[in-house]
Amino acid sequence: MQVAIKWINDQGGIKVGDTVYKLDLKYYDDESKKETVQSLVERLATVDKVKFVLAPYSSGLTLAAAPIAEKYGVLMNSHGGASDYIFEQGYYYVVQTLSPASKYQTGFLDMVHKLDPNAKRLALVYEDKEFSRAVHQAAKKYAEELGFEIVYEKTYPAGTSDLSPILNELKATNPDVIIGGGHFADGQLLASQLAELKIDVKAISILVAPALPAFYEALGTNAEGICAPAQWEVGVKYSPDVAKELGFEWYGPTQDEFMKLFKEIAGEDKTPSYHAAEAAAVLSYAKAIEKAQSLDPAKVREAMNDLGFMCVYGMWKIDPETGKQAGHEMVIIQWQGGEKKIVWPTAAANSDPCYPIPSWDEKSAGKICGT
Amino acid sequence: MAFFEQLASNLIYGMLLGGVYGLATMGLSLIFGVLRVVNVGHGAFIMLGAFTAFWMFTLYSIPPIASIVMALVIGLALGYLIFMSVMRRLLDAPELSTLLAMFGIGIFIEELAKFFWGPDYVGYSWNIGGISFPITEIPFTKICAFISSIIIAALLYIWFQRTKLGKAIRAVVEDREGAMVCGVDVNRIYALSFALGIGLTVLSGVLVTLFTPVGINVYMGGDYTLKAFVIAVLGGLGSPWGAFYAGFIFGLLENGSYTLLGLIPGVEPFGLTRFVSFAGLLVILLVKPTGLLGGE
Repeated sequence: MQVAIKWINDQGGIKVGDTVYKLDLKYYDDESKKETVQSLVERLATVDKVKFVLAPYSSGLTLAAAPIAEKYGVLMNSHGGASDYIFEQGYYYVVQTLSPASKYQTGFLDMVHKLDPNAKRLALVYEDKEFSRAVHQAAKKYAEELGFEIVYEKTYPAGTSDLSPILNELKATNPDVIIGGGHFADGQLLASQLAELKIDVKAISILVAPALPAFYEALGTNAEGICAPAQWEVGVKYSPDVAKELGFEWYGPTQDEFMKLFKEIAGEDKTPSYHAAEAAAVLSYAKAIEKAQSLDPAKVREAMNDLGFMCVYGMWKIDPETGKQAGHEMVIIQWQGGEKKIVWPTAAANSDPCYPIPSWDEKSAGKICGT
Repeated sequence: MAFFEQLASNLIYGMLLGGVYGLATMGLSLIFGVLRVVNVGHGAFIMLGAFTAFWMFTLYSIPPIASIVMALVIGLALGYLIFMSVMRRLLDAPELSTLLAMFGIGIFIEELAKFFWGPDYVGYSWNIGGISFPITEIPFTKICAFISSIIIAALLYIWFQRTKLGKAIRAVVEDREGAMVCGVDVNRIYALSFALGIGLTVLSGVLVTLFTPVGINVYMGGDYTLKAFVIAVLGGLGSPWGAFYAGFIFGLLENGSYTLLGLIPGVEPFGLTRFVSFAGLLVILLVKPTGLLGGE
């Protein structure tokens, strides 16, 4: 957030008519408590007279904050709540910068579909939790639209220490592609047991777990080729040139400027991750306020309806009806040669997808992606 | 045919897992049997064992199977320390006090571990191959965990039967006053049993990672605590051997019921396996409150 604020203020602030406004951040610690979030948003709206709120972190807290923002007519931008449910409650003043849960696995399916239209047999294995269910139900629907055949779909409860009952069954269905997972522990377990049971497929995408370096540390070369969706990654190629090529307007700092400002503000040893989405949320406010030429939340919300721009985080465009993020695409990361590479979408990619991935036997013999 | 293949491979995995479950519950049962202390902090000690295996492997490339000894030593020392500093003072207090004390110690250990090791999920890959069957693949690490579990349980059995200390522990379990009259230093037996119970639990944490080498986290113990209680009750609370056998039953039930439940159309079998396990527990408690393998 502070990176985007600094960048905007350094550029001269936001012009509304003849007045130039500088951005200022006012924040409170919500202690990750729903009750606290509600009273703090109320405080921001009534005591501090804030008109543009950046939502709290996580879907649960955003859902708690949303009715308060709606009640006071202050605009709230979600950069940490991916749940679709929040935006299906009919709130007008709540918009989303993160890609919603329903889009988490769709990019991967697009990628596989483009690379190999013949890889049709899709298996889904995911944790029986609200978030992963939402992700995979949406992915399943999308896959069917793309022409995938769902050969297997099962969930497993949280805290499972052995997935072999499911995976033995899955193996018999002979899938080309597997999507699944849910959290950190089960995602690691899923990959490790796919390796143990030697279930070879052409592509795998697992939620959450593979996006962290600990995944590769835990699995070693078995992690090679495994994909995961991420909202943003260091190294994405979104740039003013890419924006121009695709016919979009670029707004905000470039990747290099973003990294530089981030290190200035957060410290040299920190690596940005979710920070890019936060920056995009701030940028979207600035852009929409300038477009609306007003500080009235209702007018700014209206201006957002047909606002579309590309920034460090990727595209930003909302669905006018629900406020859901519709422009931003999840980036797909893939472990290649021990490094996390961005392989999709093409506009963001810094490496080609490794497809089909090496078999488990090849991997244990030391084969890695890109060799 | 596919059905029987599925069932067979699930039962094989269930048995391997059951061996680990069994050993991971023996410590809990031993402590309860001798001291009448319910170790609700059980999972934290499993976590310590898991991290012992992880760090030994990651830092010094020591095969996890060799970490068993290290984990046992750590567990024995830690158990003795906890007994001398806390439990000794609470032995005559109501059971709730010891329960809360163990609860507190469990949380303390987890939070301390988080302070030093962070909240990340870690893991290791000790790739030593496996056996290929037509119906499934079984990695040697899981077989190692299973065999170690049986060997340790057997050694413990011999120790309990043959040595003076082992006999003294059994005497205290049967009749505390009687043992005292016969000249057994009950406090010493308490200290030993508690240390041994914690030692076994930390050790079994190593086996847990041999079975599941990923998802190692400071809060990983919760699920094992839950399962350990079910298994301990199943085996007749307070009986380490009962717990060991019950571990097998639980493992077979957990994985085997999956295939059977899968026959019911429209259900998610995996979610139900847990339901079946716990429903089974309730039934056993109602019918035979001393546990399936417990005494009268």
